[in-house]
Amino acid sequence: MTGGGGREEDALGREALAYADALHNLARYLTGHASDAEDLVQETYARALSAAHQFTPGTNLKAWLFRILRNTFLSHHRHERHNPTVGGLDTVVAVAPSPESARWLRGDVELDRLRKVVGEEIERALESLSEEARTVILLDLEGLTEVEVAQVVGCAVGTVKSRLARARAALREKLRDYAP
Amino acid sequence: MTCEEARALLLDARRGRLSAGMQAALDAHLAGCAACAHENAADALLGEALEGRLPQHAAPLALKRRLAASWSAGDALPSPPPVARPTAPSSARAAWGARWRRAVVPALAAAVLVLALVPLYYRQAGDGGAGMVTEAVNDHLRLLTAQHPLDIESGGIHQVKPWFEGRLDFAPVVRFEGDADFPLRGGAIGYYLDRKAAVFVFNRRLHVVTLLVFPAQGLPWPRRGLERIGPVEAQVTASRGFNTILWREGDLGYALVSDVDRTDLLALLGKLAASS
Repeated sequence: MTGGGGREEDALGREALAYADALHNLARYLTGHASDAEDLVQETYARALSAAHQFTPGTNLKAWLFRILRNTFLSHHRHERHNPTVGGLDTVVAVAPSPESARWLRGDVELDRLRKVVGEEIERALESLSEEARTVILLDLEGLTEVEVAQVVGCAVGTVKSRLARARAALREKLRDYAP
Repeated sequence: MTCEEARALLLDARRGRLSAGMQAALDAHLAGCAACAHENAADALLGEALEGRLPQHAAPLALKRRLAASWSAGDALPSPPPVARPTAPSSARAAWGARWRRAVVPALAAAVLVLALVPLYYRQAGDGGAGMVTEAVNDHLRLLTAQHPLDIESGGIHQVKPWFEGRLDFAPVVRFEGDADFPLRGGAIGYYLDRKAAVFVFNRRLHVVTLLVFPAQGLPWPRRGLERIGPVEAQVTASRGFNTILWREGDLGYALVSDVDRTDLLALLGKLAASS
């Protein structure tokens, strides 16, 4: 926090609370477990409290909290468990469609499947993606701009755009696996 | 514009971020490239699925209560290493933290109160039907725009109903066989919110009437504005030019949607409810 009076800080505190659900949602998809997600959110708020003086009024509090949550997750959870994918999106080339899948993509099968996919299947497919892919998809869903996502994940804006495109393509590829 | 360039713009285009010139160039490319048009359609459907169907995990009330209790009691919260090194003096940090706690605790308490009361209100008022009506209308529109809306063409209810066996994890209860006023056209497997649904399609003159049958459990059924129609209590609403009737019987939920008059739709409900 760089200066500012108590009124600004009151507003900051109230605004921070409004993001508890969004933070918990991301935590749940990062950890894959309800109890781990609660621990992660609790630790995120504790860290935010202790680092609150670093927040600059007028900047995006939501993105700042997301960044703390993700950094906390990476420092404590990434190598422990429940992370099925090793390596980052930038190293993953599996989303490039194979000739077989390219043929499949040309038809309407994928479109029909996407129209009918249910929440549980999307959730499973999302959880099977890498942490980076899950993060950019969920932050984008939260309405963060590419600039804000870049601040959260600590990369260039152009990288966010390409990561998001690859992540969405990877998710579509995963959803193929649930085709009836 | 190459395919690679076009695909990099698809998401921005759907979100209205492109300049008019760029949008026109992209539209021209999509009009002449079936592969990119398919990519655009598939990614748009993925977006709809993510936004409308991906389960959201809100923070449990217990977690918020724990935070509120812990902070209001002034307990020392976990003090992990900061995400980035603080640069302010520790005394200033502590003073800010105290002020932040003063701001957060009342807000948390208020949030907890609201979170506790809102579900109680809705349990009393039961105003959760708006989303259900929207979904029913969306399902009806999807059926109207589908190239092949029916999985089974009607040879009568005794041909349509058995067709669902093995395709659903419940048995749709619909005994009305259709008649001259409301002939049964056929059926299909559909999806209603997060679950599968049996879709029955009737006609009323040249109008299409969609009946969705689905497991009722766990949905925010409306409890206000219900009308007693025959043996059932139903909510009759108009949304986006469509009349919709929602009701439940036992473990099953029903949604009837069409652009026919309310009177016609109620007449069909009367036939359905009387037969079930």
